[in-house]
Amino acid sequence: MSILGPTLTRRDFVKVGGVLVVSASIPAPAKAAAGADAATHTLDASKLASWLELHADGSIVARTGKTETGTASTAFYAQAVAEELDVDPMKVSVIGGHTDETPDGGYSAGFLGGVNNLKKVAAYTRQALLGLAAERLKVPVASLTVANGVVSGGGKSVSYADLVKGQQLSLAIPVTGRLARIDPKDPIGITDLMGIIVTGEPPMKPTEKYKAVGLSHPRPTVADIVMGKPVYSGDVKVPGMLHARMVRPATLGSTLIAAGKIDKAKFPTAEVVVQKNLVAVVSPNEWEAVSAARAVAAVTKWTEWSGLPGSGNLTSNLRSQKFEDVGRRGDLGKADAALGKAARTVAATFEQPYVRHAPMGAFVATADVKADGAITLWSQSSQAQGARAHIAHIMSVPVEKVVIRWAQGPGQYGRTTYGGDGAMADAAILSKLVGKPVRVQWTLTEDLAWSSTSPGWVADVKIGLDAKNNMVAFKSDWYSPHENDARMIGAVLAGMPEISPKTKPFYPAISTVWAYDKVPAVVESAFGVPNLAHDSANGGLRGNIMRTPWQRQQNFALEAAVEQAASVAKADPIEYRVRHTTDKRLIEILNETSQAAGWKSRPSPSPEARKAGTTPVRGRGVGVVIRSGAQWVGIAEVEVTPDTGVVKVLSFTTGVDVGKVMNPRHLKSNMEGGTVMGLGEALFEEVTFDQSKVTSTDWTKYRIPSMGDAPLVKTVFTSRDGRGINGGGEAANTVSANAVAAAFFDATGVQPKRIPLTPAYVKSILMA
Amino acid sequence: MPSYTLTVNGKSQTVNAAADTPLIYVLRNDLNLTATRLGCGLSQCGACAVLADGREIRSCTTTVARVAGKKIHTIEGLPGLWAAKTGKPLTPETVHPVQQAWIDEQVPQCGYCQSGMMIAAVDLLDQNPKPSVQQIRAAFTNTPPSPHLCRCGTYTGIVAAVQRASKAIAG
Repeated sequence: MSILGPTLTRRDFVKVGGVLVVSASIPAPAKAAAGADAATHTLDASKLASWLELHADGSIVARTGKTETGTASTAFYAQAVAEELDVDPMKVSVIGGHTDETPDGGYSAGFLGGVNNLKKVAAYTRQALLGLAAERLKVPVASLTVANGVVSGGGKSVSYADLVKGQQLSLAIPVTGRLARIDPKDPIGITDLMGIIVTGEPPMKPTEKYKAVGLSHPRPTVADIVMGKPVYSGDVKVPGMLHARMVRPATLGSTLIAAGKIDKAKFPTAEVVVQKNLVAVVSPNEWEAVSAARAVAAVTKWTEWSGLPGSGNLTSNLRSQKFEDVGRRGDLGKADAALGKAARTVAATFEQPYVRHAPMGAFVATADVKADGAITLWSQSSQAQGARAHIAHIMSVPVEKVVIRWAQGPGQYGRTTYGGDGAMADAAILSKLVGKPVRVQWTLTEDLAWSSTSPGWVADVKIGLDAKNNMVAFKSDWYSPHENDARMIGAVLAGMPEISPKTKPFYPAISTVWAYDKVPAVVESAFGVPNLAHDSANGGLRGNIMRTPWQRQQNFALEAAVEQAASVAKADPIEYRVRHTTDKRLIEILNETSQAAGWKSRPSPSPEARKAGTTPVRGRGVGVVIRSGAQWVGIAEVEVTPDTGVVKVLSFTTGVDVGKVMNPRHLKSNMEGGTVMGLGEALFEEVTFDQSKVTSTDWTKYRIPSMGDAPLVKTVFTSRDGRGINGGGEAANTVSANAVAAAFFDATGVQPKRIPLTPAYVKSILMA
Repeated sequence: MPSYTLTVNGKSQTVNAAADTPLIYVLRNDLNLTATRLGCGLSQCGACAVLADGREIRSCTTTVARVAGKKIHTIEGLPGLWAAKTGKPLTPETVHPVQQAWIDEQVPQCGYCQSGMMIAAVDLLDQNPKPSVQQIRAAFTNTPPSPHLCRCGTYTGIVAAVQRASKAIAG
């Protein structure tokens, strides 16, 4: 398919003599990119023009199906392209997401995968440009150098812009993979979510020579956000569009008996729209849609339903379910044998309720469905090609008929990673029904009740210790509903064709990265069940992935158990961890972070620990995780007031070794933000429900950290060459919950078996 | 529908809206000022904050009828507010020091709450030009009707940006 082999060298490249497509003028942003196919609304990823445009003014436009989710990946993409081409990163702009303007699709989860495509494309382009420059300057490629987009050699020089001016050239980009598509055999129901991958090994700069990568390059859209430009999905205005508000069922499993009617005297331009259990009110005036929807909701009749266990009974309900064995890592027989021979064992059960992504803005989408079936959807989905395939499936049209126009949204934290969840189906179904463009804005209450959630879980952990109290065996069994449900509630309610998530294969069943490699016998097993109330009319509590999925939960149990073993060993918790690992990078970042946090070596609990009293008692704790090639350490200092059960985090230090730091300012921001998100799980967050519906439906009932709840986060990181470029955007939330739980134990001498550490739970365990 | 005359970002404008329409819908839909973001709609998060006569209000629960006659400023109007305060001409390059600090500190992650955060910062610095870290944290947490919430957890960056803006305003 490509003229370029997988191991291209500079010399070979020139021999191949590929021609380079370059546009001499900037195409209007609304127009499809060069090479876009008007019939399929899809770019050909094997053509350079689908990825990169070099303009005569020296500016460069890069295109990727990945989107900005708030981790500053668009800054990293610009830096990576600038690096390989040796241009100023300020000259590079990034177009992301739009399915008709970007070539590759793929996850927007972090930058690691996304940046590789653009890096390689830029590297191929550099080689082609050097070839052109060699001809122009009549010097061999090997003697050329590039700085700031100017190629020099033999005492002469020419800019990229001059090289490409007025030329119509072409360059093939070697790619593999395909865009996301529906696959009933896939556990999610949508496959190829990785999208198209650029292959081959074009010569690329070694990290030691990086200049643009490593700068605190500003993220392209930050200034627009700050100056109040219309950059969000909710800001989209389509001529003639109607505003819609949804009227959701009275309970999670209710079906419609009769939709309420509109009082035309009060709401003259509003209409009720119904398809099966999907009920909405539309109006050209947004406030009329809001008010009329409230009035209609009050008189709409639904069947009664109760089929949830109630969140207070979650653990016992999970225990009573018939779990499927969904995956194992390690040797069960060996671990059991080692446990049998251990001098002593430490066993504990840990658990966490349902939590959710809970962004500051509810889902919103605008759809324009034409009579011929063509659909344009303005969406904040971070998996635009997945969403495109998904909507095509729901609406029973060929995928070529669907265009997703991406715009930034409130944080997604994983909930749209699989190309599902959200208001897109509502908008498309309503637009088709009313024959006009429709903008659907969910409410916070609706979002906190009807969006997908990160399921509750229970884990049983057993650690075997030798005579010196060193760990010789580790066994964990992790039980949870699956996190594969990317269905859109609008499609489920309206009875449209939908994907069907499955419990098995449950992947990756075990997501922990085992840090304690000196422990000789380790086995970790995972057990899955479908959604709670999965057999109800509307699919039950839809389980979906959330920031650092599976690993966040499984690592909590792992680290909490290690904490307990360290305490039995009467060892300092950091020293005990170091004792069980050969990971030099982990030891290094543990040392650096503990130094920054002022950690003093001693075992937990603290000599001052107590579990009663009206005055606060302090403790400190550590949490560790290895994620996406990076070693993370969190150290918390907390204050517990035993008699009130109130836990306050006084300070927090987060350290990470990501190898080469791409962008210090944004790494720091991601570390700080992720830490705060984890504190929410540690202290407050729980999706509550009664027997029929979710009840934690506003910010007083689903509490997330405020500025006063979170300390100023201290960060520790150093850019290090020779260790690769690893993930820095995601996992800080994992270490903060562990560190807080450990600090609570240090302060009170009582180990929490559950998060969040709410006053009620804290009082219950301190009084026990 | 009744009509209301509002002074928004220094400009007097007349809109037709039901009396109970929250200001945010008038700003976003009638006046095309979309920097004010709809968060919770319940005065619980602060995403929709705007200035009314220089003080923060929540536009998701404040009706258009209640702000008629008041001077409203949104994020789009902060450069104008700064130009008026300093007596300098308003140009397309004018940026309020709070906005400049937010850009310099690269505060936003998803950014959805940040319009409200910057409004709260302008209100705070107007009342207390040199706030301590503790006072900044208290202002964003304890000012009624609710804390200003950020799910991305950018609070450390916000504190740094308010301190930076405070220095810039002091000159």
